[in-house]
Amino acid sequence: MEFDLAYLANQWPALMRGLWLTIQVSALSIVMSVTVGLCGAAIRVLQVPVVDKIVVGYVEFIRNTPLLAQLFFIFYGLPGLGLKLSLFWSGVLSLTLWAGAYQIENIRGGLETVGKGLREAAFSLGLSPWRFFRLIAAPMAVRVGLPSMLNTSISLLKNSSYLQAIGLAELTFVAIDRISMDFRTVEMFAAICVIYLALVLTLSFFASRLEYRLNTPFRT
Amino acid sequence: MELLIKNLPFILQGIQMTLSLALATLFFSTIIAFVLGTLATLRFAWLRIAVKVYVELFRDIPLIVNIFFVFFVAPLFGLELSPFAAVTVGLSLWGSANGTEIVRAGFNAVPKHQWQSAAALGLKGWEVYLFVAGPQALRSILPPFVGLLTLLVQATSLGALVGVTEFFKVGQIIVERTTMMEGWNPAFTVYGAVLLIYFVICSTLSWFGRWLERRLKADRSRVAPGTLIVEKPVTQLP
Repeated sequence: MEFDLAYLANQWPALMRGLWLTIQVSALSIVMSVTVGLCGAAIRVLQVPVVDKIVVGYVEFIRNTPLLAQLFFIFYGLPGLGLKLSLFWSGVLSLTLWAGAYQIENIRGGLETVGKGLREAAFSLGLSPWRFFRLIAAPMAVRVGLPSMLNTSISLLKNSSYLQAIGLAELTFVAIDRISMDFRTVEMFAAICVIYLALVLTLSFFASRLEYRLNTPFRT
Repeated sequence: MELLIKNLPFILQGIQMTLSLALATLFFSTIIAFVLGTLATLRFAWLRIAVKVYVELFRDIPLIVNIFFVFFVAPLFGLELSPFAAVTVGLSLWGSANGTEIVRAGFNAVPKHQWQSAAALGLKGWEVYLFVAGPQALRSILPPFVGLLTLLVQATSLGALVGVTEFFKVGQIIVERTTMMEGWNPAFTVYGAVLLIYFVICSTLSWFGRWLERRLKADRSRVAPGTLIVEKPVTQLP
């Protein structure tokens, strides 16, 4: 059993197609989950009656059930209700719902650092609630919440590999598929491990850079 | 509902398998995590770096890839692992990487003067760890470890992908069987029920973790003020 680089070079285009799908699914889900997070966190912070209890329940439910089961429920279960989604959109939906729950908590955690005193001070200076949010609350909340939001996004990227279980041809699926045909196990795993590591490390590098930049005013 | 009653023994078997998988993994993860976490607090830079590489490696590679890797690659080295063993190894590698961070953070949260006082009293290095820093660190280690157990229970569902008949796989089998034998697709009900049962198990665990956290925090106030400032270790998502 030796490491066959030529084989990998041969399969490279297929792997890249898988990677491209992984990136598409992840990027779309990250954007959507942040949207979910913003809405959910706003509802929690503003304490909208009834709806905020639903949001709490949603977050608890997602956090205490396996993503794989959520995914299967969405892909295989929802058609029973007449809601048939394509592979791609089932994947995006389940990743969005999963990460959205975490993003709600991340953003809420950020918003909660903005104290009551600041709000009162802003209102007594005559700022409208919207301007208070835009000029004071949001910039502060982002600084606190951003690191964990980026962590969740990175987790989402890794968890997009769950979608191979329903047969979406993303990176992991391509690799497993090729292994079952050619038995080049070590080469394939080495390749996807390196690709995932490169993706995650690049993202976390940018995450820490961004964090550093945002904290500029607070550094001495 | 009728489906549930008919398959009850099968389902219970699945739940049992899930729990034993989770506990086996927790066992190995805890051992590795405590060894590596402790090593990471020692004053050898190369040890710290080695542990860091281990942690980053297994946390940054998707868990599924990790499990498939163990499952497919171990036989190539002459190790015939059963699916159960393969999943246990894969999950333990991942769980221990997360656990190591918890243990390391727990030790780091023990105030410096505790270490210094212990050393000044003439305690040997291992005595400091065992009798002074350890018990204090445990307080901030335990609650996140319960959180880790919750994640492990959830992660055992990945065993279904390599053929361990744990709870999630049981659900899949029931769906397939009913579709084939009775000609209707119960996916919505079955996967809904699977989600609910996971939710019950995991939220009980989460609740226990929160209770433990509150409990250990409350205990702290009984200690003379200023002796113990344990900060919550940073835990991350799966």
